[in-house]
Amino acid sequence: MTEERTPLLEFKDVNTYYGPVHILKDVNLKIYPGEIVCLLGGNASGKSTTLKTILGMVIPSSGTVYIDGHDVTKWTTSQRVEHGISMVPENRRLFKRMTVKENLEIGAYLRKDKENLQADMERIFELFPRVKERLNQKAGTLSGGEQQMVAVGRALMSNPKLLLMDEPSMGLAPILVAQSFEIIQQIHEAGTSVFVVEQNANMALSIADRGYVLQTGQLVLSDTAEALLANPQMRQAYLGEVS
Amino acid sequence: MDMRRVVRQGLIGGLTLSLIVAVGMFQVFDGRKVIDPYLSAGYALILWVPILFGYRATRQVVPDGAERRPASSTDILAGAIAGAITGLLLGLVVVITALKPDIRNSFLYLSPVMVEKFSYGGTHWLGAGILTAAGAVLGAFGGAMDLIPTTVKRILATVAATLIGFNFAELVVGDILRSAGQNTLDRWIYSSTRGINPLAAVVLSVIAVALRLGLRGRSGGLRERFGNGDNERTDNGKRMRYLVIAVVALAAGAWLPNLFGLYLNEVLSNVGLFILLGLGLNIVVGYAGLLDLGYVAFFAVGAYTTAILTSPASPALAPELAFFASLPWVLVMAAIAGLIIGTPVIRMRGDYLAIVTLGFGEIIRIAFLSDWMKPITGGAQGILRIGFFPGESRGGIILQWGMALAVIGIIALIVGLLRWNSSRISASGLTDIPEYHKPTTYALLVVGLVLTVGGFIKPDFATWVIPGIHPPSMFRIILVFVALAAFVSWRLRDSRVGRSWMAIREDEQIAQSMGINIVTTKLLAFVMGAMLASLGGALFAVKLGSIYPHSFEIIQSIIILVVVIVGGMGSIKGVMIGAVVLIGILGGPTQPGLLREFGEFKLLIYGVILVWMMLKRPEGLWPEARRAQELHQDEMSQDAWLQAGESAAEGVSG
Repeated sequence: MTEERTPLLEFKDVNTYYGPVHILKDVNLKIYPGEIVCLLGGNASGKSTTLKTILGMVIPSSGTVYIDGHDVTKWTTSQRVEHGISMVPENRRLFKRMTVKENLEIGAYLRKDKENLQADMERIFELFPRVKERLNQKAGTLSGGEQQMVAVGRALMSNPKLLLMDEPSMGLAPILVAQSFEIIQQIHEAGTSVFVVEQNANMALSIADRGYVLQTGQLVLSDTAEALLANPQMRQAYLGEVS
Repeated sequence: MDMRRVVRQGLIGGLTLSLIVAVGMFQVFDGRKVIDPYLSAGYALILWVPILFGYRATRQVVPDGAERRPASSTDILAGAIAGAITGLLLGLVVVITALKPDIRNSFLYLSPVMVEKFSYGGTHWLGAGILTAAGAVLGAFGGAMDLIPTTVKRILATVAATLIGFNFAELVVGDILRSAGQNTLDRWIYSSTRGINPLAAVVLSVIAVALRLGLRGRSGGLRERFGNGDNERTDNGKRMRYLVIAVVALAAGAWLPNLFGLYLNEVLSNVGLFILLGLGLNIVVGYAGLLDLGYVAFFAVGAYTTAILTSPASPALAPELAFFASLPWVLVMAAIAGLIIGTPVIRMRGDYLAIVTLGFGEIIRIAFLSDWMKPITGGAQGILRIGFFPGESRGGIILQWGMALAVIGIIALIVGLLRWNSSRISASGLTDIPEYHKPTTYALLVVGLVLTVGGFIKPDFATWVIPGIHPPSMFRIILVFVALAAFVSWRLRDSRVGRSWMAIREDEQIAQSMGINIVTTKLLAFVMGAMLASLGGALFAVKLGSIYPHSFEIIQSIIILVVVIVGGMGSIKGVMIGAVVLIGILGGPTQPGLLREFGEFKLLIYGVILVWMMLKRPEGLWPEARRAQELHQDEMSQDAWLQAGESAAEGVSG
C-alpha cells in the first residue's frame, strides 16, 4: 500500500456519542482509492454508526473525518453525497412504492451533470440486465435479489467514488449472498472503491484488500485480508473456529 | 343456518337501530318527508337496518375456490330471525322508555313523544310487537336478497337511489328549476314540505329505471372506449386532456352560481374554501407524509392578518388596506408562522409530530384570545368590519385590475420558475417529467416580471367591487384561488421537490442518505401548506366580515384532515370530492350543508364515514393511482404470486 496517496476517506480519532452513550472510541481508519476495505464486527459494535458518521447523519463529538483530503466533519449529508460517497443500506430499503426507475432517479438526486445520467443508467443495466426488465415495476414487488440490484444501482446513480455497503449479506439466501459479493467485485473492477460493513467475516475477507475489526466501538485489529484470515485471534472470534 | 351468526347480526342491527333513535336522528329526520306524506326521512333512515342485517345474517364466508352454497328458503328464515331481533331491541327501548320515563335524563330523545310515535295508536306493547314484526318482514326480505333476480334488485336499488337522491338534492334541483323558470315543475315534484309528491315519485322512478335498464347494454362499450385512453402513459396528450378538463370545469364552476339561490351559493363558497384548505393540507400530509393536526393555526394567521390590515375597526395598526393588497402580507406572515412552528417540530416523526402540531394549533388560538395579544387581535371580541369599503357600511373585495394583473404576473413567475426547475431534472431524459419548451418558459418569466412590477406601480387603474356578503361573487373569487392552489399542487407533485417529498414519505433515513436535505424539504412542505391555508383564512375573514378566536378551534383542523383522508391523501381530485361530499352535503364544522337536518349529528356521521373508510377504502374516495396501489400492494403482490404459481403449474402439466 502506497501510504503517500491521499486517502479517499479518513477517520482521525473519531469519537461518536448517542446522547451519553459512547459508541465510537478513537476510531482511525483509511480507505485508499481503488480498494475494497471491510469492517467486521458483531452486533452493537458500532458498524452502522461508523457508516452514519461517514455520511454525516451522525456528527462526531471529537475527531476529524476527511474525504479526499478535505475536512468534512461539519459537512451535511448532501454535501458528502455530492462529493462522491454513496450508501447501499442494510436490508436494501428501497422506496417500495415507487417504481424501479423512480428509485434510480432519487439516487441521482444531487447530480449536476444530468447529461451523463442516461449513460450511467445504461451502465447499471449492463451490470444488472434484470433491472432494465423491471424498470416500471414497483420496487416492493421485486424479489430479494432483484431489490439488492436496484439498491446497488440506486447508490451508483450518484456516481460515487466510494460505495458504502451496510451488511450486503443480510436477509439474502446463501446463493444470493455469493452473487452479492460478486457484484461488489464487479463494481470495484469498474473503478469504484468499496467499504463493506459485514458480520459475515469469511465472505467479506475473501474479496477485500484490507479489513478492520471493530469491537464495542474500538478498532481492535487492522490488517490485510490475508493476514486477518490467518490471524488466530480473528479466527477464534469471528470465523467460528474452536481453538 | 348458522344460529350464532344470525343472533349476532340481529343484536348488532338492534343496537344500531336503538342508537339512531336514542341520539334523536330518527326524530329529527322524521320531520323531513321523502315521499310526502307516506315516507319520512326518519323511516328511510331506519328501514335499511333490518334489511342490511337480515342480509348479513345469511351471507356466507366462502373460502377461495370452494363451492358457494346455493341460496335457499332457510336464508329467508335466518333473515327474518335476525330482523325480528333487530326490531325487538328497538321495541324494548320503546317499552323501557314508557315504563321508566327517567331514562330521559340520560337520553334526551327517549321521550314520551318517541313512545307515542312508535305505539302506532295503541300501547307501547303493541308498538314493540309491530316493530318486531316489521323487523322480521324486512329481515326476511334482506335474507332473500340472493334469491331475488338481479334485474329486480337493480330496479329496487335504482328506485331507492332516485328517491333519496332527489330528496337530498331538493335544494339543488329546486333552485335549478326555479332559475330556469320552471316553477310549475318544481311544485309538481316537491310538496310544500319539500318532500317528493307521490305521483312525481312514481314518474321519476319509472324514468330512472327505464334509463338504467336502457343504458345497461351500452355502458360496457363506453367504459371500454374511455378505458383505453387511461392506459396511455404520461405525455403531452394526457397533459392536454387535463388542461381541457380543468378549463371546462373552471368555466362550469364560474357559471354555477347563476343556477343557485343564495343558500346554495353559500354552501358552494364553503366547499371552495375547504377545497383550498384541503389542498394545502394535502401537500403536508399527502405529499410529504407529515401528520399536521394544528393546521388551523395557519388558517387563523391568514384570517387575522387580513382582518388587521383591512378593517377600520382593528384595534391596532388599521392601515385599512384593500383585500388584495393584504394578500402579500398574508403570505409572508403564513410563511413566517410556518417556519416558526415548523422548525422545532420538523425533527419529530409520526405520532410525536401529530401531538406537537396539535399543541401549536391550540397555542396560536389561545394566543389570539389572550389579554397579551388583545391590543392587536381584540381578544374574545375578535375583529369586526373586515374589508369594509372606505366610507361605507359594507365590506368585501375591491378587485383592482392593476393588482389582479400583478397577481397574474406572480402566477406566471411561479409557473415559469417551476418549469425552469423541472427542466433541470428532465434534461436527464430519464424522468417522466417532460422537458418544457424553453422560450415559453423564459417568456413566462419575463411577462410575469413585467406584470408584477407594473401592477404594483399602478394598482388601481380600474376597479371592480365585490361585496363580501354576496355569495355568488365570493364563490367565483374563491374558485380562482382554488384553481391556483390545484395548479400549484399539481405542478409541485411532479417536480423535483415533489419527488423528494415522496421519498421522505417512504423512508426518511434513506432519503437523507441519498442526499436529500430532510429539514429544508420538510419545511418547504410545511410552508407551502401554511401559505395555502392562509389564503383560505383571508377569504374566510373577508367573507364573514368578522372573526373571533373560536372560529379556529381544533375541530377545524380535524375536519380538514378528514376531508383529505376521505377524498384520498395525495390526490388533488380526491380533496375536491372529499370537500363536496363532506362539506357540501353534510356541512362543515360551523357551516350548514345541503341537508340541514344533519346539523347536530354531523360529527357522528363524520366519525362513521371515517371508520368505514379506514376499514373498506383506506385510499379514499378518489385516490391518486399510486396511493391506491400502495394500500393494496399486499393483495396485488399476492395475486401476482398466485398467478405466477398457477402459470408455472400449467407449464408443468401442459
